[in-house]
Amino acid sequence: MKLASQYNRVNLFVSLIVLLLTGVIYYLVIHFILTEKLDKDLRIEEDEIRAYVSTYHKLPLPGDFQDQKVAYRPVKEDDTSGRKFSNCIYLNEKENKEEPGRSLLTYIVVNKQLFEVTVVKSRLEAEGLGKLIFLITLGIIAFLLLVLFLLNRFLLNSLWRPFYGMLDQMKAFNLADKNEINAEFSKIDEFTELNHAVLLMSQRVKQDYKELKSFTDNASHEMMTPLAVINSKLDTLIQTAGFSDQQGELIEDIYLAVGRLSRLSHSLLLLAKIENNLIKNEELIDLKELLSQKARQFQELLQSNEISISLNLEAKAVSMSKYLADILLNNLMSNAIRHNLKSGHIDVLLSADQLIFSNTSIATALEETRTFERFNKTSSSEGMGLGLAISREICNLYGFKLDYQYENEKHAFIISF
Amino acid sequence: MKLLLVEDEQSLRKSILAYFSAEGNICEIACDYHAAMEKINLYSYDCILLDLSLPGGEGMEILRALKKMNKNDGVLIISARHSLDDKVDGLNLGADDYLVKPFHLSELQARVTAIVRRKSFDGNNNIVFNEISIDTQAMKVKVSATPLILTKKEFDLLVYFIANQRKVVTKNAIAEHLWGDEIDLSDDFDFIYTHIKNLRKKLVEAGCKDYIKSMYGVGYKFENL
Repeated sequence: MKLASQYNRVNLFVSLIVLLLTGVIYYLVIHFILTEKLDKDLRIEEDEIRAYVSTYHKLPLPGDFQDQKVAYRPVKEDDTSGRKFSNCIYLNEKENKEEPGRSLLTYIVVNKQLFEVTVVKSRLEAEGLGKLIFLITLGIIAFLLLVLFLLNRFLLNSLWRPFYGMLDQMKAFNLADKNEINAEFSKIDEFTELNHAVLLMSQRVKQDYKELKSFTDNASHEMMTPLAVINSKLDTLIQTAGFSDQQGELIEDIYLAVGRLSRLSHSLLLLAKIENNLIKNEELIDLKELLSQKARQFQELLQSNEISISLNLEAKAVSMSKYLADILLNNLMSNAIRHNLKSGHIDVLLSADQLIFSNTSIATALEETRTFERFNKTSSSEGMGLGLAISREICNLYGFKLDYQYENEKHAFIISF
Repeated sequence: MKLLLVEDEQSLRKSILAYFSAEGNICEIACDYHAAMEKINLYSYDCILLDLSLPGGEGMEILRALKKMNKNDGVLIISARHSLDDKVDGLNLGADDYLVKPFHLSELQARVTAIVRRKSFDGNNNIVFNEISIDTQAMKVKVSATPLILTKKEFDLLVYFIANQRKVVTKNAIAEHLWGDEIDLSDDFDFIYTHIKNLRKKLVEAGCKDYIKSMYGVGYKFENL
């Protein structure tokens, strides 16, 4: 759940409860005040009656005016239940309808006769006032909630915009990319701080990455000279006469190891170069032509492993560096040969939108996610585990997609243009 | 051949020097930029083996200087930089070839020989070895005036062997020479055996002596008997 909606939910819920509580309390207080006021009026009326009685020694006339009724009833002395205020029904005779009322029951002695006096006042006005106040309160609550809701929604949205902007940039952040993260201007300190921190972090990460890359680059580079020395010394060594078979084998093994090491260095350098997009010279490559050429180039290798190859090529040209196109096809072709069975088969299919290399193999399906990782190889593989990583980098560079599929006991590498 | 080796790595210099000198070539050395500039100002060479990263200056500058002096020395760049741009720049500046470190000395020899042949005979591209004569331009081989039909690979192999005569060449050097280093051949060079066997057979059938000698485990040697 988004922070804004979570906040909104709690905020609205609490506001609603608080406002409802206040409303209820408000209503009760108003009600109490109005009743007090009515009771005061009733008491004044009672005082007036008592004053009248003490002056004139008789009861004033029972009356019914201004929403107020006064009634008398002679009672026996032991019949009194005490003075009390209560709510009752007030009969409005003018409009002939019942209204809520408030009554005061009191007793008064006139000429030694005890009278029960009932003063009733209509509560209609007070009730109306209470209701009105209650409605106004409700209205205010509703309005306030609406305002809160809209405020939260739009204000929060616009407040959080820099955050989402930054988030999008962080999602799109790619170490290999040249473009930096741009901090959107924000008046809010927290976001400014966040932007600043992210900016610093990305710069630091990029710097580290750059250093790491240049380290790999330099390390591979620096390896070349000692390798060249080893190679030349070996070349010189074998010119000296009189090697036993065993010595010959040892030297051959050293040659092979040196060869692998130098291929490894070259591959690492190549990867670094592709990643840094240092290889330009794009030209239109006729893939059909190039593939047929590769098939010829690899002919000896195919023959010595008794592998049959079938080419099914449609005309297709792509714009890429000839150098990388060569490497890409060489890698796919040598993989298809190297991991093939004795007397196996390779299918090469080129159409307008796909190039598929599929080959038979002893190995079962490869793990798709790890296949293209660097230095990932099966234990039986003689390669370095960089070929496919390089191939994928080349494909990425030109916006192609390199996928792996295992179907009908055949391994297929598919380039989608 | 008179060669100039411009290389700052001492042990590499020694190996190259030993390899070339054994064939009676005159091989001079320059360890840094200034020594190299001095030499090219004073002398002419059949071929200059030029390392690009040198103490004291860039190898490319030496190329520029050579071009300015209108010298016709052959130049082979030997560099640890496997960069397409360097290669293109070097060749544009008048270098004849570009070899990436690490390389086989036999490959270096073959390339130098090819450069010197192109430079010094001005269109005469014949190689003669006893009864074998090769026209590298037309890619034709004759044994005692009788044409010999070779495949492209066998032809390349023969030229390579003759350039490295009396030297042991390794199987992987041959493989890399014939198929280029792009083909990652893994560690299996057995398939070159077929080519060597066929070449040997064709040469012997044409009346040559069996010049190709197999050195167990290491490689082959093309030698005048």
